[in-house]
Amino acid sequence: MAVHILEDDPGVSDSLLMLFKNLGLEATAYPDAESFFETAKPVKDDTIIVDLLLPGISGATVIGWLKTLKEPPRIVAISGQAQSAIDRQLKDVGPVELIRKPLSIQMLSTLV
Amino acid sequence: MKEWTDRPAPAAKTVSEARLMSVLNTAVDGIIVIDEHAHILVYNNACEKLFGYTAAEVLGQNVKVIMPRDYSDAHDRYMDNYKRTGHRKIIGIGREVRGRHKDGTEFPVELSVGEASTPDGRQFIGILRDLRSRKEAEQRVNELQADLVHLARVSAMDEMGAALAHELNQPLTAIMLYMQGIARTLDKRDDPADAQFKTVLAKAVHEAERAGNIISRMRQFVEKREPHRRPIDLNAVVNEAVELTIVGMRARVNIERDFAQQLPKAFVEPVQIQQIVVNLLRNASEALKDREDGTIFVSTRQDGAFVTIIVEDNGPGIPPAAMPTLFKAFSTTKKTGMGLGLSISRSIAQNHSGDLIVDPGGHGRGARFIVQLPVASREEETDAGL
Repeated sequence: MAVHILEDDPGVSDSLLMLFKNLGLEATAYPDAESFFETAKPVKDDTIIVDLLLPGISGATVIGWLKTLKEPPRIVAISGQAQSAIDRQLKDVGPVELIRKPLSIQMLSTLV
Repeated sequence: MKEWTDRPAPAAKTVSEARLMSVLNTAVDGIIVIDEHAHILVYNNACEKLFGYTAAEVLGQNVKVIMPRDYSDAHDRYMDNYKRTGHRKIIGIGREVRGRHKDGTEFPVELSVGEASTPDGRQFIGILRDLRSRKEAEQRVNELQADLVHLARVSAMDEMGAALAHELNQPLTAIMLYMQGIARTLDKRDDPADAQFKTVLAKAVHEAERAGNIISRMRQFVEKREPHRRPIDLNAVVNEAVELTIVGMRARVNIERDFAQQLPKAFVEPVQIQQIVVNLLRNASEALKDREDGTIFVSTRQDGAFVTIIVEDNGPGIPPAAMPTLFKAFSTTKKTGMGLGLSISRSIAQNHSGDLIVDPGGHGRGARFIVQLPVASREEETDAGL
């Protein structure tokens, strides 16, 4: 299984990358949805971590698209925003796993 | 002259006297003429309404009768002083003073005083304008502004809390994961020489968690406050916000209003919407400050399921470089302020399930901001008892 990280904040993205590699996983980070879709071919066993606030195509849109795949990967939304802001963005997407920032190793280790 | 305002009015002796009488008694402002000894010679109809005394009661009396005690004691001295020195403190200047009604109540009047030399000696003409309604209006505006400032502050605090929480969460997440990552590596290596590093690292992680908890609490606190939304006539709310802004505006900018007729009610918290409008108007007037013909256009429209407020100016537009961070908290192109205005305005609109969008203009067009707010549903109208 591979972990794909869609996160525009360089610190968050780099530390997540380090953490998953440290856990012995294959992990790749993308600064936006566009570069993710250009290079990645997510499969069923993969985990996609999507920050909701992405430049360009929004995190919620990406999640919506991923959910329509025939064999969708595991999708985890991450966000540091207020709950109301998160609800608003995800209202058209339907249920999705969500982890709120600040993230810690304990929260993330449940993913793998 | 005394008989001009005596009742019943005697026939005027000359045409000009008749004309003057008619002028005096048609005037909306109070008009009083006194002689050098401060005795009232003329007291028109408007004065009767203003002070409660009839002309018959006050003609020939010292003008002190319609002044509050603290003025009246000094008035003789003022007149003496003027007669002696010729130094003008009120004549030809006019100022705001207090008058006293027959029932003892005092009220603000604007007094202008003129002087005339007559064959009977020097006479002084006072014109008195009742300031009570203007004062009340000013007070109402002040109260509204205070409310708005207070709510803006509460809302700015909330918004700043949410923005801070979000901005701090990013680096905090990175810090936490870096440290936990290193801690894991050290654990795996299991070298006794690392013991001290591990202890310190564990403490550092603990502190980062503590910071994270503070942010979570702050976020929860902000999330608890839900605004009081109800179906609202946006035109009235927007109009009031425009009035408020005009009062507080330093530069003279034209504001043109064009409100849609039969606009459906919007489901909003009115003060928060006023906050957006005031904020947009202030930004617009800021953009127009170097222009002679600066005009802001404020309009309302229905647009499908939304009621929209449009604030547009004829300024230079928003430079393309400012666009990416326009709505971002803590970014500003102005010298003062924290750059929270537009960020707050947008999140207020979004929290109402609406939005704030911008057309930056440029090339001779000014910026145009569009606030979209949801039309109140029938259930919401019913729930509100309307």
